[in-house]
Amino acid sequence: MADHSKVGREYAPVTWEVERGKIRELAKAIGDMNPIYHDRDAAVREGYKETPVPPTFLTVPMMWSTSMPGVINDLGINFMMVLHGEEEYEYYGEIYPGDVITAVPRVASIEEKTSKSGRKMDMVTIELVYTNQRGEKVARARTLLVERK
Amino acid sequence: MAHEIFFEDIQVGTQMPTLVKGPLHKLQFVIYAGASGDFNPLHTDDDFAKSVGMPKGAIAHGMLVMGFVGQAITSWIPRKYLKRFQVRFAGVTQQGDTVTVTGKVTDKRVEAGENLVTCEVTAADATGDVKVTGSFTAALPSRNG
Repeated sequence: MADHSKVGREYAPVTWEVERGKIRELAKAIGDMNPIYHDRDAAVREGYKETPVPPTFLTVPMMWSTSMPGVINDLGINFMMVLHGEEEYEYYGEIYPGDVITAVPRVASIEEKTSKSGRKMDMVTIELVYTNQRGEKVARARTLLVERK
Repeated sequence: MAHEIFFEDIQVGTQMPTLVKGPLHKLQFVIYAGASGDFNPLHTDDDFAKSVGMPKGAIAHGMLVMGFVGQAITSWIPRKYLKRFQVRFAGVTQQGDTVTVTGKVTDKRVEAGENLVTCEVTAADATGDVKVTGSFTAALPSRNG
């Protein structure tokens, strides 16, 4: 079960250089052919400085950094019993190719809940606030992990 | 692509244009694994997925389905106006499913000088089985400047 004493704990920062090719690749994998994600000129015509990132792009630094398995391990969560319960993003500024974004994963909360069927679960929220290379806060990501016990 | 949209164009009850995705194939899950970096075999290996109780084998990444919802949103509301986007993963999305994303505006308000609209969103399969529920908030420009 999740170690409830670790609320507030912070982990090694996730740092990611945003590339145009990765933006296009993620959009294509979703099947989102909106030209703003694929064509710089189309993005500029619609008021962006460059190709912006799709709304769920911040899953990329999270997954490629392999940070989450380390967090799950440190919290003593049984990996086989974890479900991705919720995901939330807040957007404060644009993220463009060439930006280097970084965030410190932090355990925002751990709460025990009981499901309708009477099963106990730990609800673990991990929060990352991303800043860019100019120190501007660009986004916040919150992931809710549900560990069935 | 999303056309310019103004605060005055949207009312509580306005429907987001519906987006239909699928039927989904395992190939898309494999491509999404590579793009996102999530290589959990639950999404790419039929035998593994069956061994943990998924009758049709590999299932879609929850984040892929959230990606479909993000596509629906930013096909309607320009990406740059999106302020918040949240989902709850309610059900498993399997190979062969056709996922329909719908949404409805539930709130419209002016707050700290921003014209905010909040819309509830749902992704469900052809049988009505809900995969994702959530909401987003966008800050829109006004026709009055």
